[in-house]
Amino acid sequence: MVNSMVNRLKNIEINPLKTSSSLGAAVFFLGLKNAVVLMHGAVGCASFDKVTLTKHFRENIPIVTTALNETGAILGGKDFLISGINNVYEKMKPDFIGVTSSGLTETQGEDISGIIKEFKNFKNAQNIPFAKVIYASTPDYKDGFEEGYLAAMLSLLTEAVGKNKEGGSYKKSNRTKAKNKKSVNVFCPPSFTPQDFLELRETLDDFNLKPIMIPDLGLSLDGHLDERGYLQTTPGGLDAKDLTDIFDGEFNLIIGLSLKDAVKNIEGLTGLKTYYFSNLCGLKNSDDFFNLLSKATGKEIPEKYKRRRSRLMDAYLDAHFYFSGKEIALALGIDLLDSFSAIYSEIGANLKLGITTKAIDGIDIEYGFLNLSEGDLDLLDNCGNLDMIVSNSNAKFYAENLGIPLLKAGFPIIDEIGHNYKHYILYDGAINLVIESANLLFTE
Amino acid sequence: MGLALKEEFFDEPSCEHNGAAKEKKACKTAVPGSSTGGCALDGAYIVLSPIKDALNIVHAPINCLGNSYNQRTSKAEKGKNYYMYGFTTAINENDLIFGSEEKLRQGIIYTNDRYKPKGIFVYNTCVPALTGEDIEGVSKELSVKLKIPVVPVLSQGFSGNKNLGNKIAGDALFTHLIGKKEPKIDLMGEFNINLIGEYNIKGELFLVKKALKSIGINVLSTITGDSTVEEIMYSHKAELNVVICSKALVYLARKMKEKFGIPYIEESFFGMTSTNKAITDIVNAIGNMELIKKTKDYIKIMTKKTEEKTYEYKKFLTGKKVLLYTGGVKSWSMISALNDLGLKVIATGIKKSTDEDKLRIIKEFDKNGNIIMLDNGNPVNLIKIARENNADIILAGGRNQYTAIKSLIPFLDVNQERLQPYVSYEGIECMAKIIYSEIKSPLFKLLKESIG
Repeated sequence: MVNSMVNRLKNIEINPLKTSSSLGAAVFFLGLKNAVVLMHGAVGCASFDKVTLTKHFRENIPIVTTALNETGAILGGKDFLISGINNVYEKMKPDFIGVTSSGLTETQGEDISGIIKEFKNFKNAQNIPFAKVIYASTPDYKDGFEEGYLAAMLSLLTEAVGKNKEGGSYKKSNRTKAKNKKSVNVFCPPSFTPQDFLELRETLDDFNLKPIMIPDLGLSLDGHLDERGYLQTTPGGLDAKDLTDIFDGEFNLIIGLSLKDAVKNIEGLTGLKTYYFSNLCGLKNSDDFFNLLSKATGKEIPEKYKRRRSRLMDAYLDAHFYFSGKEIALALGIDLLDSFSAIYSEIGANLKLGITTKAIDGIDIEYGFLNLSEGDLDLLDNCGNLDMIVSNSNAKFYAENLGIPLLKAGFPIIDEIGHNYKHYILYDGAINLVIESANLLFTE
Repeated sequence: MGLALKEEFFDEPSCEHNGAAKEKKACKTAVPGSSTGGCALDGAYIVLSPIKDALNIVHAPINCLGNSYNQRTSKAEKGKNYYMYGFTTAINENDLIFGSEEKLRQGIIYTNDRYKPKGIFVYNTCVPALTGEDIEGVSKELSVKLKIPVVPVLSQGFSGNKNLGNKIAGDALFTHLIGKKEPKIDLMGEFNINLIGEYNIKGELFLVKKALKSIGINVLSTITGDSTVEEIMYSHKAELNVVICSKALVYLARKMKEKFGIPYIEESFFGMTSTNKAITDIVNAIGNMELIKKTKDYIKIMTKKTEEKTYEYKKFLTGKKVLLYTGGVKSWSMISALNDLGLKVIATGIKKSTDEDKLRIIKEFDKNGNIIMLDNGNPVNLIKIARENNADIILAGGRNQYTAIKSLIPFLDVNQERLQPYVSYEGIECMAKIIYSEIKSPLFKLLKESIG
């Protein structure tokens, strides 16, 4: 029986799957080079997020707080915000300061956007170099991780447009570039692991395209030992210098179901032709993607990818036995749910239960979910026989209680390391997922 | 209605931070634009969540709990794992407009029916505190209706830091649980004490209990590692409170002294000197001559045993240099543990230390030699000091892990993310072994040669 996207009526979240929009915006900002995230709220807002992100990525996470106290909470937080921005710049000299709001500061009702605009005008008038201050409004009581990430993305783009658009037309940058490489703007979903970013970069490179990734978590949080040692800001990511190149791009690539609603917006802001993929997972989606790249660049698909394609088909054959008769539950954010479902449905896995963060029509029918709901991890309780759960570290309670394996994916993964080396996109990524799953389902 | 904090929280007669600078309310401030520790909610949750037959409901938008639950390492001996579950009302836009007291009420009733806990802690947070929801009223009403303690915890983050949250939690226990039940007679030993501020990280409580049991001391209640609601309710029957490595919970010990006449002492179980001293202080406070004599013998045996077991490590570690950056009491209690292993502490963090703590660093460790007092926990500064003084290892909390290892300096986490138990006699061995392996690791040399 198909029970599509039931939003269970209840008054409490038990082991939530959902995280907040401020966290999503923070993750976006961490994909900018030499950036610091400034969270406008009480100290805990920044501290909780910093701790989780540090454990998830196993990297230093440059998140600081405006440290709003009782006085600020009641009388207004403007001074806290302004001195926060100034102090961050003084201490760390970042290129970007990504500012998020919180439930506290939004409930208070202050015009944060206006305060920042005023501050920027003041700084511009001074005409001395300062960081780019990008603000994403992220009230914690509204939306979630994906929306916060998108809000930060659009805010950055708007900033870039503002700097670049004069008299209605886009200024082309004067920078000298490698002539033989056309640039392409790539917008990836927050579900991409750092390795996913790196794989996609390499693939585009093989088609002679220079990707400008917005954001680029591959260059910032992939886990590399920087020769500069410990850094107070992000060690890599989208470079502020590349922002103007966005408008020289050949086309935009937008990947991820959570970014779907922004396709028109991004197309409008950049003025470039835009291709959208809900995910890059599984054989068919990868085929579509490679065909597009081939068509758009006029370049034949490199032999190495044809080989990977045939290896994926072989891996599917090897792995499919272990899925037979097994029932799987996925509890993942909307992008990863869509991505993994694409792979699992190709190999013929039984998707008994899907739990996700946002209601999206039609996914259950497309992937054959028996039941798909928006909700918390507690929906895993009492859902009958299951053979494997695919979810983040917090689902371990249920996997342990049921005595079944948990394939850890999504956010956060805090009780094992190496997540930043894993990837699930394109042919190789699908191989990774089906092999990892098959080994967990493999019982003597 | 949630917003009002007790002035008492900021006026701790037994805390040295009070002394000279009363007007600045030292524990309250943080600088905008810096990376600070957690908020009051964080601090309260840390104290209360280890109680293994209680549930914790955070009345807040999704971020306060959703972004960071299931991360503590408090071990429980037996029972269900519900105490580690994350519960939240996940306040949304509608709730903000129409109020969410009813949602909270229904949420508490639902969780009570389903999990049958022995108590429920309800945490207030910034947003409902700002809109003025009556968490105390709902809790009071449901305590009666559900016949279990439903305890309001007024821990809205903007009130202050983690330390304040510890106090708020202590206050909640004192006001709503402690003294509300009597222990069954078979739970009482000859000598009964409480341990306050011990959260059983990596099973450390079990090691402390083992040592105390060997000399005939019964731990009646632990506040709160591996504890039960009932055990906290009858904790007033102990004859001594032992506050472990926590300035914040001295508040609770003082309140218990005032109301129930239970004396308290502050101790640390890090290292042999501290462990021996703690055990000696406990038996001296109890004052039974036979117990004191028995303890002397026990300490002699354990000291010899531990010295034998750590001999090889100590030989290697003697003279090696440590940069210590941790909070409050640990700024000196760890020095003693490290000195026990022959290590020399070149610098220690004092950002969260009281004047008393600082004085102890100067006075008690003359054999360690000169110690730099680090008031500035800025990571860049830490690395600079470590390099200038040729530190062999940095011992700090998890937030400095990447500061150290990215700079290719060996590191050990001594705060709540620690990988092993470090207290009592067994802990000393663990710590010796792990510092030894970390400093000896060939990796740092390899990477230094390979980088750049």
